[in-house]
Amino acid sequence: MTRGRWETVILYAVVIAVVIVLVFPLYWMFNTSLAPATQLRRFPPVFAQPEPTLAAYEAIFTERPIGVWLRNSAVVALASTALSMFVSVLAGYSISRIRARGSQAIGLFFLMSRMLPSTLIIIPLFVSFRQFQLIGDLRSLVLAHATFITPFAVWMLKGYFDTIPMELEDAAMIDGCTPLSALLRVVLPLSAPGLAATTLYGFVLSWNDFVFARTFLVANQNAWTVNVGVASLKGEYLTEWNEIMAGSLIAMLPIVLAYLFLERYLVSGLTAGSSK
Amino acid sequence: MSVPRWSLWQPKNRHIFAYLLLAPAVLLTTAIIVYPIISAIDLSFQRIKIAKLGRSRAPWTLANYEELFSSAEFYQAIWVTISLVATVTALSYVIGLATAILVNQRFRGRKLARILVAVPWAAPSVMAAIIWWWLFDSSFGLINWALVRTGLSSEMIPWLSTPGAAFFVIVVVMVWKGYPFISVIMLAGLQSIPLELYDAAKVDGANAWQRFRFISLPGLRSVRGIALILVMLWVFRDFPIIYILTGGGPQRTTQTLAIMTYQEAFKFHDFGFAAAIGVVTLVISVIASWIMVRRSDEPLM
Repeated sequence: MTRGRWETVILYAVVIAVVIVLVFPLYWMFNTSLAPATQLRRFPPVFAQPEPTLAAYEAIFTERPIGVWLRNSAVVALASTALSMFVSVLAGYSISRIRARGSQAIGLFFLMSRMLPSTLIIIPLFVSFRQFQLIGDLRSLVLAHATFITPFAVWMLKGYFDTIPMELEDAAMIDGCTPLSALLRVVLPLSAPGLAATTLYGFVLSWNDFVFARTFLVANQNAWTVNVGVASLKGEYLTEWNEIMAGSLIAMLPIVLAYLFLERYLVSGLTAGSSK
Repeated sequence: MSVPRWSLWQPKNRHIFAYLLLAPAVLLTTAIIVYPIISAIDLSFQRIKIAKLGRSRAPWTLANYEELFSSAEFYQAIWVTISLVATVTALSYVIGLATAILVNQRFRGRKLARILVAVPWAAPSVMAAIIWWWLFDSSFGLINWALVRTGLSSEMIPWLSTPGAAFFVIVVVMVWKGYPFISVIMLAGLQSIPLELYDAAKVDGANAWQRFRFISLPGLRSVRGIALILVMLWVFRDFPIIYILTGGGPQRTTQTLAIMTYQEAFKFHDFGFAAAIGVVTLVISVIASWIMVRRSDEPLM
């Protein structure tokens, strides 16, 4: 394919314009986070900080418990992902490999569960957690996050297991492996990239949650996750926008990095069970 | 050598192995998904406020559903939900497809451009809401400044407290967060179309529009349906973006069914009524995902 000179110029101009418009909000977030507090209630806006300052970052770490919030988010994400991955690896493998009565229905149940509205399931979960006195406790969040990580992970993992030929297990079994050790020693190592991608995405899903964390933990500030904490920085009358932007950037950085790694896995994973 | 005589792997025993593997997932999801759904349905048939929750049962009644189907607020929420889903999905589709086609062209820096147009996808909903909150801030936001400066508006617009304007802001945030998903899927679809088709069409004298219309669009058919349904379900169920920006206001002009469910439960503490709205949203979700499953080209397993 060849292009004329003008076509090339126009193509580059369009690409640059589109990218600037779409990414500008993120730049503006970064720009605001480096602004001194005095600048934010004054016009005209400053598009590039002449004297960038890290004061906002310093403020959120010294005056707000953002360190605790980040730790809470990480603890919940790790625990809920570990719990979900344990059950999902076994279930995904079973659905991928063995046709047994009812297992197709169970697979369909997981597929449909991915569409469950969180605003519905949160009502009975709140009732149960109150009975077990788990409100305000991070453990409530671990269980709640497993409700959306598990259905997703089962299907994503099933997709990876489908790509591994079954002859490998048959061979391992002939060599004296039990079915479980064939799964652990043969299939899992071969699906390592898929396991890594699913684990990472489970972590991302948990980290991004707002509704469960906001509802179960609102009364206990020490148990807040970073999303709830950062959203709380928006004041009723006065908001330190540089601090809230600095907090948001810190909270989303790990997620953006995860996506850069995950992008190619997600296209197939998200549509798993629906189309190929 | 053969498989040992008694093994879970033998065809006649294999289903036992299948059930053993499924057991932990089934136990966990029974506790945290199935049982909660059943108790939500149960709650939706009781008049029950927060104080009595979990202590005693109220008698079964259809009162919540009767109240729901005769309430103007419910029909308003349905209308808001439908308009939001339709607007966001249509705009995300157009922008997503356009950016996919753009970054599918050959140019220097294409890899970087692909990453950049996909970045908003990675922004957590809470952060997406917060960024735009600042841009649309009524007193010191950049957008109001730009509108006044260019003379497009004579005064600062209180975006989030003006009906119509608030809906517009929600649409902007959702499209910004939602289009990259369509774009990424469409790009994968475009790359699966053989280049020879385009070359042959060129030889036959097809122009760019015709190549798009008769090669790219049909080639994307298999991924388009699933991408659209996933975006629709996401808008349908979204909580953080609307809750953070408007909480459903002003005058409920941004109150979707999901937000209404939440507000009834956790703001007005009317759990039975909230559960009834939630059950209605569940039924709609199940129907939508059922359509999605039906559409799949290949059998599920």
